[in-house]
Amino acid sequence: MNGSPSHYVMLFKAVSYALKAESILKAGVLPHKLIPVPRQISSDCGICLRFEPQHRASIEALLSGKVAVEDIRPLIC
Amino acid sequence: MKIVNATGLACPHPVVLAKQAIEANEQVQVIVDNETALENVKRMGVKLGCDVDSQAKAGGIYEIMLTRKTGAAVPAVPVSCVASSPSAGPFVVVCSEDKMGRGNDELGAVLIRAFLHTLAEQAEKPDVMIFYNTGVKLTVQGSETLDDLKTLAAAGVEILVCGTCLNYFEVKDKLGAGVVSNMYDIVETLSRAGRLLSP
Repeated sequence: MNGSPSHYVMLFKAVSYALKAESILKAGVLPHKLIPVPRQISSDCGICLRFEPQHRASIEALLSGKVAVEDIRPLIC
Repeated sequence: MKIVNATGLACPHPVVLAKQAIEANEQVQVIVDNETALENVKRMGVKLGCDVDSQAKAGGIYEIMLTRKTGAAVPAVPVSCVASSPSAGPFVVVCSEDKMGRGNDELGAVLIRAFLHTLAEQAEKPDVMIFYNTGVKLTVQGSETLDDLKTLAAAGVEILVCGTCLNYFEVKDKLGAGVVSNMYDIVETLSRAGRLLSP
C-alpha cells in the first residue's frame, strides 16, 4: 500500500451492531455508508460501515462505549 | 410412433408436450413452427438421451424425431426453455420493493442497500432498471440508495420509475434518480428483456 487509503471500513460481529452504529452516526450527522464487507476482508457479518479517513476519530469517539467494534481496516481499491 | 403437433405453441409448451410423449413412447415426432421451440425440443431430447434428428419443412415448419435408445430409461430432466438468442434483449433489473427478499423488513432494507451498492460497482451493469410499488422509495431524496442509483445512471443505466407509484406514495416531487415512467414503458421493457433480474 502506498499513500493513505481513500476509506476505512468498520467491521462488527453482527448485523445488529452495524445497524446500531449506523443509527448513532446518522444522529450525529457523520458521513458514512453501509456496504457489504469487501471480498478481501473476511467477517462473520456481511455488512460494514465505510467512511473517509478524516471522520475516523469522530466516528470512533461517538461509538465508543455504545457499540462493540470488531475492527477498522483501511480500504484499498 | 407418436406424433406431437406443437405448432402455434410458445415455449415451454412444445418442450412439455414432447417430454410427456417421449416418456410414454419409444419414438416421437414433434412438429414445431419456430426456431426457439426447435432448439429447445432438440436440447431436451439430447438431455433425455434420445437420438435426435430434425428436418426443416416448407412454411417454417420443423419436424423433430426423438428416438429413445434401446432399453434406456428416460432420466428426469427439468423442462428448460431458453430463447434462441438470449442476449438479444436488454439486461433489466426490477426492484418491485424497497427491500431484498421476504421475511424480515429490517434485514431486507439492509440487503437492498448492499445489493445496489454492489451492482453499482459491477463492471457489467444493467441496461435498464425498473422501480415500481415500494421500490420507487429507493429512488427518492433521502433514500439511502440514491447515491448508488445516481452512480448507475451516470454510467448509462436507464432508470425507469413508476409514476403511478410515486404519485400513490406522494413523493413525485422528490424523485432523485431516473425518470418518471409509465406502464407502457415498463411492460415494453420487461417484454423485450434478454435477462431479467429481481433482487
